[in-house]
Amino acid sequence: MWAYFLKRTFLILPTLIGITLVSFLIMQMVPGGPVEQALQRMKMAAQSEGGPGFGGALQTAITSAELENIKKYYGFDQPVLTRYFRWFKNLLRFDLGTSYTYEKPVLEVIASRIPVSLTFGITGLFLTYLVCIPLGIKKALKHGEAYDHWTSLLVFLGYSIPAFALGVLLIVFLAGGSFLALFPTSGFISDDFESLTFLGKVLDILHHMFLPLVCYTIGGFATLTLLMKNSLMEELNKDYIRTALAKGLTYRQAVFRHGLRNALIPIATNIGMIIGVILSGSFLIETIFTIDGMGLLGYQSIVNRDYPVALGLLVISSLLMLVGRIISDFCLVLVDPRIRFR
Amino acid sequence: METALLEVKNLAVHFQTPGSSGGPGGVNKAVDGVSFQVFPGETFGLVGESGCGKSVTALSLLKLLPTPPAILAGGEVIYRPEGRRPEKDLWQLDHEDLIKLRGKEISLIFQEPMTSLNPVMKIGRQIGEVLRIHSAEKAPTPEEIRREVLAMLDRVGIHHPERAYEAYPHELSGGMRQRAMIAMALICQPKLVIADEPTTALDVTIQAQILELLKELQISYHLSLLLITHNLGIIAETAHRVAVMYMGRIVELAPVKELFHNPLHPYTLGLLSSIPRLDREGELKAIPGMVPNPLHLPAGCYFAPRCPRVMEVCHKEYPLPREAAPGHTVACWLQEK
Repeated sequence: MWAYFLKRTFLILPTLIGITLVSFLIMQMVPGGPVEQALQRMKMAAQSEGGPGFGGALQTAITSAELENIKKYYGFDQPVLTRYFRWFKNLLRFDLGTSYTYEKPVLEVIASRIPVSLTFGITGLFLTYLVCIPLGIKKALKHGEAYDHWTSLLVFLGYSIPAFALGVLLIVFLAGGSFLALFPTSGFISDDFESLTFLGKVLDILHHMFLPLVCYTIGGFATLTLLMKNSLMEELNKDYIRTALAKGLTYRQAVFRHGLRNALIPIATNIGMIIGVILSGSFLIETIFTIDGMGLLGYQSIVNRDYPVALGLLVISSLLMLVGRIISDFCLVLVDPRIRFR
Repeated sequence: METALLEVKNLAVHFQTPGSSGGPGGVNKAVDGVSFQVFPGETFGLVGESGCGKSVTALSLLKLLPTPPAILAGGEVIYRPEGRRPEKDLWQLDHEDLIKLRGKEISLIFQEPMTSLNPVMKIGRQIGEVLRIHSAEKAPTPEEIRREVLAMLDRVGIHHPERAYEAYPHELSGGMRQRAMIAMALICQPKLVIADEPTTALDVTIQAQILELLKELQISYHLSLLLITHNLGIIAETAHRVAVMYMGRIVELAPVKELFHNPLHPYTLGLLSSIPRLDREGELKAIPGMVPNPLHLPAGCYFAPRCPRVMEVCHKEYPLPREAAPGHTVACWLQEK
């Protein structure tokens, strides 16, 4: 079995090459890259300095000599594949390059967003599991009853509301838009954050997080709740539940001692994906609530053609996903004694 | 005459079937007026084709059927453990009291030991759980439970009890799993064991071993055994008395020898002659026709449409059971002549 996991670990490298190579090539094909942007900036500068009429002459002056310089500066004088392998070689030394926009190392830029993303990711995750597992169990036990119906209505309502629409609604109604002003409209901390006590800081963050967190998690309740419910209902129809009842257990005991453990297996399968919370973020929600998180960073890096940052995010998220899958498989072995990998 | 340990009177279990694709739903009378007795130390066989209601009967005795869809429509299940209150009707008991009987005084052995055991719990724990929940006064220590379970595993013929104790169900063979299932049923030394097709899922050689084991355990623990099977061969080898069920009713009930030597109901005859035998010439005789739709039962005897000796009266009214010989009752118009 260890051989299996070792093999999986070694397979990460070729998979990563595949993912990054394709993305690298696609990104190079998109127009509006750094070289064109630099040219644009120079053109604008020239236009504002001189008057109209000089533009045409200046442009030809740039193209010949300086274009080569600009290309060299961004490394675009080399063919695509050469550039890719140079980039990948640096990646193996944990050097993701320098952001064009921020002119700082990519790792530093990404790391600066991690605390915000992690706080959202972890609270969101706990909230989801804390709500969905008990709710799914209760729905399975009360299948077909009124409770089952109205909770289904709620989770599907949450599922079908677009997060950004809900965000706007919440701001309008609860964050000082036109009605109540219970929550701050934007940001992650108050201006006087540094002067607060520890408890005050925690409460301040929670206060700021509440609305974005609602938007962030509400769409995720339906899937996990229904997965839990259906999985448990399937187990409750199995023969071993009847055996448990025939032994003299109450129905509750049969459900919780025998059915639940089996029903949690499909849910444990996804546990490795938890590792992804490090990079969690949503561009739309972060934009609405003006939070400087990972989602916004990713979006801006693509709009600005900040290739090093975009690729850096891609590498990290791919790595986390690949490692997460291995962790998932490992957890599956732990919870289900029938599964052995060869 | 000895008093019966279990006396089932006019048991009726129905299923409400939902209407499908426009057709109206109906009530399926899966068990319709079944009566029999099981005496202390006796093996009572209940035999019939699949769908005749024998498993439903078995499960309904301890109210193990999910309701709905099942409806416990009527009847009495009188249980008379010696040296205690003379009798109690299991169906009238409080739920808490019934649960206390399950697995302790009356236990069940199921057909498919793979799906009937929890796949993610070790065998030892699953058996020990029965002891743990039924220890009334003082809870036994884990060591005591372990010792008792190991002794029981050894008793049911598992060669390496220690290994089986730590095994998950999928790590044991079918025969071993069924032995573990039997150990689970016997660990609290019940008075009555209901075995629902205990050997159907097993290889023939393993079947014989499991039957031998059941017979041997029955004698040494003085058990009453209610054996549900579709296999007349198993009945012949194991049971003392036998009831033949057809469409939710008992058509013939007799001591085993009597039934095999002097079958009176045409259905029983049909069953007996559809057993392949090497010492008999000629073709294997199957019972002609199909089992009727349980939602549209014939007006008279349910077997009439398939019966080779059908008479006019058979289509009009269901025959009442009558005693043809001591201990031998039959529900057939042929006996009325």
